Amino acid sequence: MTMELAYYPGCSLHASSALYDVQCKMVFRNLGIELKEIEDWNCCGATAAAKTDDFLSIALPARNLGIADATGLSEIVIPCSSCYSRTLVSQKRLSCDPGLKDAINEELAHKVEGKIKVSNVLEVLVPRATSGEIAGKAKKKLEGLKPACYYGCLLTRFPCDVNVTDDVENPQGMEIVCTSLGAEPIDWSYKTDCCGASASVNDADQSLILMSRIMKDAVARGANCFVSTCPLCQFNVDAYQEQVAQKYGLEKRLPVYFITELIGIAMGFDPIEMQVDRHLTDAMGLLKELKLI
Amino acid sequence: MEAKEQVMSAKTLQSEATDAKSLLQEVAEKSGQNLLACYQCRRCAAGCPVGEETGVTPDRLIRMVLLGDREEALNNLLVWKCVACYTCGTRCPNNIQTARITETLKQMSKAAHLEPLRPRIADFHNAFMQATEHMGRFNEIEGMRIYETKTTLKELKTGNFGAIIDEMKNQAKLGVSMMKKKRMHFKADQVKNKAEVKALYRKARQGKGA
Repeated sequence: MTMELAYYPGCSLHASSALYDVQCKMVFRNLGIELKEIEDWNCCGATAAAKTDDFLSIALPARNLGIADATGLSEIVIPCSSCYSRTLVSQKRLSCDPGLKDAINEELAHKVEGKIKVSNVLEVLVPRATSGEIAGKAKKKLEGLKPACYYGCLLTRFPCDVNVTDDVENPQGMEIVCTSLGAEPIDWSYKTDCCGASASVNDADQSLILMSRIMKDAVARGANCFVSTCPLCQFNVDAYQEQVAQKYGLEKRLPVYFITELIGIAMGFDPIEMQVDRHLTDAMGLLKELKLI
Repeated sequence: MEAKEQVMSAKTLQSEATDAKSLLQEVAEKSGQNLLACYQCRRCAAGCPVGEETGVTPDRLIRMVLLGDREEALNNLLVWKCVACYTCGTRCPNNIQTARITETLKQMSKAAHLEPLRPRIADFHNAFMQATEHMGRFNEIEGMRIYETKTTLKELKTGNFGAIIDEMKNQAKLGVSMMKKKRMHFKADQVKNKAEVKALYRKARQGKGA
């Protein structure tokens, strides 16, 4: 039986991380979930709105929430951690501030009601891993894969009091999914540290320092890849890894997979159809070496 | 390394109680944070990923605001280099979210037309918001064009040609590798009902804000 969930891809899944959009749809469809992209969504404002304008940081995601509420669906999946965080924070803020909600609703064709449940991808995937559903759809075990599950900042830490779905300091969602597919996620210390994605362009040295710490620990703990759910973390650690490695004298390079790539590989999907060949740090080599593709 | 020594200047120690009250009130109201609850345990400082580089850690920033040192509070490295990772606030035993305070101070600094200590950081986030206002969605190429124009004009004024060349080299290198891997998207993505997004921006400018 197919179920429908509302879906907010956000700007990066329509641009540099279009591969994640493709993979989310493929993997979710195989789990009987149809992702219905909401109509005419706008940018959530990400880190920039919070740093420049408090009103817009709430109002931009609010317009999307109004559109999502109007679908009548009960849940919206938001893969990008930044979009997820901003949308959840906006929903929470508007539930506590009726005056602000009215002021924003005045401008909107679809008013925010605040009823739709805002979910990240792990909230959908983890129960299906624990129930054995994901492993049941898998055609191969991810043997030899030792991912450093990298959560970054915005999946578990919020600027206000919202319901956090995993352990704040030591989340386990990605480990649960990877383990259910036969991979052996490593235990490490930097899984919720910041990679500096929002600073990579405008404060590059800082962002390289942050990534070097993450890389060093992952390598020291014996990881052979990263796995992430956030397109901003994925792009940052993927695209700037060569620069980090050269600046800090690191020999190893670790592919940075999306969680959907690992599930898709286990499900037997074609890696090219999933666009695994579009990583800036090679991601195909390790899969071939481990005979997973 | 840009770490500087503890920033409590002599000026800080001389600040007037009246200044302190108004700065504290303003920051507390705008950020929604109870700065008075800080008892300087420095758990935030221990977890701050940029603390080593900024010298100013979240506890010290709170102290500056409490002491009413407006100039230092609006213009120190933590305000600009804070990556909004929310580690300080998550670990604070008194629930003070200092990342909200740095966000607030950046906005106050902009409202007061102060020159940011790290202009590139301000330019980037302003460029992001400008690109989003234009199309309703953030297009990476448009955002980068606005950002590079802002920063290049500034570097040109100061005659810092080396910085311009370095920046162009870095961005060109990234751009080429993104194109090779088909990660660059040239087709502009946009909202149909741009008027609605623009209306929200208009409301923000009228200051009916959050």
